[in-house]
Amino acid sequence: MARPPGEAPHYLIQRIREALAHDPRVGELELGVTLRAGQVFLTGTVHTDERRRAVSQVAGEVAPGLEIHNQVTVVAALSGTDDVETVS
Amino acid sequence: MIRIAAAGDVHYGLDSAGLMAPHLERLPECADMLLLAGDLTQHGGADEGAVLADELARVEVPVIAVLGNHDHNSDQEVRIRALLEDAGVVVLEGESHTIEHAGGTVGVAGVKGFCGGFVGASATDFGEPEMKSFVRYARDAAGALEGALGEVSSADHRVALMHYSPVKDTLLGEPPEIFAFLGSYLLAEAVDRAGADIALHGHAHRGRDQGVTPGGVPVRNVAQPVIRLAYKIFELGRKADAA
Repeated sequence: MARPPGEAPHYLIQRIREALAHDPRVGELELGVTLRAGQVFLTGTVHTDERRRAVSQVAGEVAPGLEIHNQVTVVAALSGTDDVETVS
Repeated sequence: MIRIAAAGDVHYGLDSAGLMAPHLERLPECADMLLLAGDLTQHGGADEGAVLADELARVEVPVIAVLGNHDHNSDQEVRIRALLEDAGVVVLEGESHTIEHAGGTVGVAGVKGFCGGFVGASATDFGEPEMKSFVRYARDAAGALEGALGEVSSADHRVALMHYSPVKDTLLGEPPEIFAFLGSYLLAEAVDRAGADIALHGHAHRGRDQGVTPGGVPVRNVAQPVIRLAYKIFELGRKADAA
């Protein structure tokens, strides 16, 4: 019997990853994408709040109808440091 | 003694203006130079490079950079390099630069580098032309790094600056399946052959900060998502001064 039409979740994860890499609103290759119980979980870091919001938008456009959990954090709240490592 | 501030993967976009400015302003207090380990832009756009160049133009210590894979994504890497150079940044690609300092001369050899994997799980230049080309590009990058380190062999301190990782140590935390896309042992081999005080890289956002080459050269992943700082500071020569 032929397999019914529709995309296996395995491939959807990769399509979201590629969209996050190529979409000009995001452009991140290193975000984690997992799919559990029909929900998409996004993890990793971006550098601005604007990009963090865009992560949800882009994933939602690739996977409409699925609940998106954006657990991405922003590293751009950068701090300075007085901590010094002596190498040699 | 030399103090080096280093960061990678600053990923500047049009929405990034001012992000690093407060920390760049205080660089003269805490470091003698700033090294940037690639992925200076988010999409590789010259307009993004201009945002960063504007901030780096105001930095009062020498700035040396290599480009990363993101900086090549829009085929505008030549323009990005020119913008940075106009801002006073020294951009290295298989090249070296020497800084004279009261604490000694510092020779920085820089290359973007490439991927291909690590000993026991690396790509081989065998088979299709595409595969041979892939591996030879990585080999050429490593050769260029070795040559650049050789150019600064008489410097008191030598730094190998790259974007891709030379070792697996600093990739731990990344999915092991993608290690081969994050770096190449050829870069470590180049560093070990030519010698360096430290090797700095970025690229692996989910990796960790510390590693060492098989030949014993300290490796540090200074990608901002790893160090969670605007830059990390390293001292070279303090132990020698104390001896």
